[in-house]
Amino acid sequence: MKIISLALRLLMRDWRSGELSILALALLIAVASTATISLFGDRLHRTMTLQAAEFLAGDLVVTSHSVLPETWVKKADQLGLRHARTAGFGGVIFNRDEMLLAGIKAVSSGYPLRGYLKTTTTDETEEVKTNDIPERDTVWVDKRLLSSLDLSVGDEIEVGEKWFRITRVLTFEPDRKGNFYSLSPRVMLNDMDLAATGMIQPGSHVHYYFLFAGNELALARFKKWLKPQLNPSQRIMDVHEDRPELGTALSRAERYLGLTSIIVIVIAGVAIAMATRRYSERHYDMTAMLRCLGAGQTDILWLYCLQLAMVGLCASLVGCLIGWFAQEGLIHLLEDLLPHRLARPGWGAVWLSLSTGLVTLIGFALPPVLRQKQVSPLRVLRRDLKPLPPSSWLVYGLAFSVITAMLWRYTNDVELMGYIIGGGLTAMVLLYVLTLQLLKQSRRLLPVLSLSWRFGLQNLSRQSKSSTAQILAFGITMTAMIVIILVRGDLIETWQAQLPERAPNHFALNIFQDEWQAFAKQLQNEQLKASAFYPIVRGRLVAVNGADVHTVVKEDSQGGRAISRDLSLTFAETVPVENKIVQGHWWQDQKPGQVSVEATLAKSLHIALGDRLTFSVGSQRFDAAVVSIRSVRWDTMNPNFYMIFSAGTLDGYARTYLTSFYLPADDKSALKRLLKTFPHVTILEVELILNQFRTILRQVTLAVEFVLVFALAAGLTVLFAAVYTSIDERIYEAVMLRTFGASRKLLRSSQLIEYMTLGLLAGVLAAVAAEMITWTLYRQLFDLSYRFNGWIWLMTPLAGMVIIGLSGFWSTRHVVNKSPMTVLREL
Amino acid sequence: MIRVENLNKHVETVQGRLDILLSIQLAIQYGETVAIVGASGSGKSTLLSLMAGLDLPSEGSVALAGITITDLDEDGRANVRSRYVGFVFQSFQLLPALTAHENVMLPLELAAVRQPRKAAQRLLERVGLGARLTHYPNQLSGGEQQRVALARAFVTTPKILFADEPTGNLDSVTGSQIIELLFELNHEHQTTLVLVTHDEALASRCGRRIRLEAGCIVDASSTRT
Repeated sequence: MKIISLALRLLMRDWRSGELSILALALLIAVASTATISLFGDRLHRTMTLQAAEFLAGDLVVTSHSVLPETWVKKADQLGLRHARTAGFGGVIFNRDEMLLAGIKAVSSGYPLRGYLKTTTTDETEEVKTNDIPERDTVWVDKRLLSSLDLSVGDEIEVGEKWFRITRVLTFEPDRKGNFYSLSPRVMLNDMDLAATGMIQPGSHVHYYFLFAGNELALARFKKWLKPQLNPSQRIMDVHEDRPELGTALSRAERYLGLTSIIVIVIAGVAIAMATRRYSERHYDMTAMLRCLGAGQTDILWLYCLQLAMVGLCASLVGCLIGWFAQEGLIHLLEDLLPHRLARPGWGAVWLSLSTGLVTLIGFALPPVLRQKQVSPLRVLRRDLKPLPPSSWLVYGLAFSVITAMLWRYTNDVELMGYIIGGGLTAMVLLYVLTLQLLKQSRRLLPVLSLSWRFGLQNLSRQSKSSTAQILAFGITMTAMIVIILVRGDLIETWQAQLPERAPNHFALNIFQDEWQAFAKQLQNEQLKASAFYPIVRGRLVAVNGADVHTVVKEDSQGGRAISRDLSLTFAETVPVENKIVQGHWWQDQKPGQVSVEATLAKSLHIALGDRLTFSVGSQRFDAAVVSIRSVRWDTMNPNFYMIFSAGTLDGYARTYLTSFYLPADDKSALKRLLKTFPHVTILEVELILNQFRTILRQVTLAVEFVLVFALAAGLTVLFAAVYTSIDERIYEAVMLRTFGASRKLLRSSQLIEYMTLGLLAGVLAAVAAEMITWTLYRQLFDLSYRFNGWIWLMTPLAGMVIIGLSGFWSTRHVVNKSPMTVLREL
Repeated sequence: MIRVENLNKHVETVQGRLDILLSIQLAIQYGETVAIVGASGSGKSTLLSLMAGLDLPSEGSVALAGITITDLDEDGRANVRSRYVGFVFQSFQLLPALTAHENVMLPLELAAVRQPRKAAQRLLERVGLGARLTHYPNQLSGGEQQRVALARAFVTTPKILFADEPTGNLDSVTGSQIIELLFELNHEHQTTLVLVTHDEALASRCGRRIRLEAGCIVDASSTRT
């Protein structure tokens, strides 16, 4: 108790005298920025996940070939989860003599749990959002069905054994899947009418989707409870797996936010380390005196650790509060751009920021404080006695552990952590040695330089080790800032390239072989730009190296799902855009019997180069040898294929064609003309999905932009604070020079030269480190292609010179304006 | 009160071993006032620091109040200092972040004395600084700072007071005032006083003078008969 109350009193006195301000400021910046970024990121992430959930029509979806057990529904009820179900199957719809194979979907009340449907009552009326479902005895159908069967709203159709009246035209379903070519015209009916159609019989091929929605905790509990009970034909759907185009964008954004948090922590950590060092050095006299007065080493250690803990706790609490208000304010500012339904800030993010503050403090501030224990009481007689410096292992080891822990939290990837930490450490050691040598060598120049240059550079080269440490500290801060600027720019560029303004918003499927050229010509006449025409043959993978595929893969896996349905097989002469060969080579000759397999599927099915795959198309079978494995960009809206064959392999099988094109929203007449000329062709509008996707990307971009501004602001503040922490010694030397008669001009110019050189070296170092780090990050974390950034080699050293030069110049300004004695007394 | 036996202190330098103190034998009784005098570099301050337990000898022992402090570890010596010892230094050694009042309170707070505020205030009033309680060291003159240091030294009523050139940084008039005050307080508190000084006037106020030359005691005569 005695030590606590003493620590508190000393702390209050330090606070009052301003000794704590820089340390507290650095901590405050660390926690406030982490809190703002975590809270804002967490809210946006949860909002985006919520929006992404709309693509699934629920937060959690279980697919199954059979009805779910009653106990599952009860469990969901117990946990307060809302639920609904859909049942999808193929069925023939008749209208007089006309018939059509339609995709029938029965939906229960409550569907969709996330998102909404869009319908119109006639072709001409505006579409409206709705959360209703078709009433009993009625169906909603899409336009294609109406035009194919020559029906209109109000007519009746027969689905199985039951007649239904068409009451609305369905224009949008949130959970319509992206495998466009397999989509049939939609008929949506009420789940309660399903039995009356008589279409569900034992053995019928029905896809049930059980949708659940509710709070995160309940969902997590439900998922945990559910997982062990799933049979092989049941699967929990996930936005990352089932909407890969969105999942990738979300993952990247999450990784960026995570990376920025780590970077802010590193920046603030550097400032904390520098501020604590200064705080600690300014307390040697106090410690020596306390030791003289009888305080033991343990007492001293406790005293400082307690003070540190108190500062840490207060700064973390205030930082969290600032972070909370900052993100609220930001969300208020960005109200128009953000979705209306924003998730509430999560307490998890608050706790995370709070613990981040304390952990960062321990990691970066403990070593200088531990040094207090070594302060000899003899220092009261001999002020030059300094305690032994803390072991480098301790200083770097602790900081290293904190960064490792943070990296682990955000990446969860040992290999990646290895790359970042290994690369970072190698870069730092190399740069440390280089800078040290550079400073040592610069001494040779001193004799030939003018007085102000000599004084300026002398200060740096004389204490080359501490100058190098300082340059490294500034360099790390600047590196961190450049990395987030670079990554942000390339991320946003990639997202924009992914969905250009005139991205294809219509897909044309089932174009017959003998009419694809005519179709292409009509598109040209209508001045609609089409992507390539892809030939499609529907077939199944049945054997790998002669062994039945079902024996090599689990049913509940990506591979398992791929072999249980028809795949779209295509052939191509060249590698499709945005596909990358990761193993093997693309065919040089067009010899039939070669296949290129998508990488994740190959992994799931344990397919390797040289394997012989057997496919069945209808009743026929053929073999192909695996000559390459491809990675595919799923985050584009272009058609992608699991299997691409060499030309000639698919000759002799019935094929259709698939293409995509952009149609301006106000040019629907062209679409009508196309459908009239090619009534068999299925046209799928994906404008709404694209818009939703664009909205999410815009929000992600916004988050990234904001986080960047915040991190940069934190970085700049920390740079200023860091300059301030290193000025005591410089002021002392300047005062001595002033005492001996140095002119104001000489002092000011040598100070400017010193700080600008410091900034220049830190800038060069930051440019080197930033290039190395982004190269690693792009390859390992973001899957972006790296390119050399010439501008940072010019801008970073320049920015370093200006920022550090000016802040140093400003911090030491009063040396020449006050009497030397006054300045010395203030030190 | 203080017993020094066969005390040696040497350090290793590039040129070889440098002897700072050689075979010092010394006993100081309770209530005695002792001045250690000698030229610069004669080892006065080193002897003081060893007697106060601020440093360890190369050989020999020091006992304070019957406790051989040279056998103790650093924390043990700190404990002895807190119970028996007070200090006054040439450069005052006030903590710049604390006010005069807080500087004086500090040793009381360390010893967990109840109501340190009043005791500290009383001592500051005694040294004539009752009106300067809330002033920081850099707002006080050298003489005033040394008064605060005296108040801090006596506030715990130590058995032994070590003073290292207490007037070294002061002009002669202020120095004399501080000496007066030091002896008055010493008399009031019946403290054993050991001081290191160049100042003959100050040394002559002490009951005994120990002269050091090149690390050896050359004279240990009484100044008063």
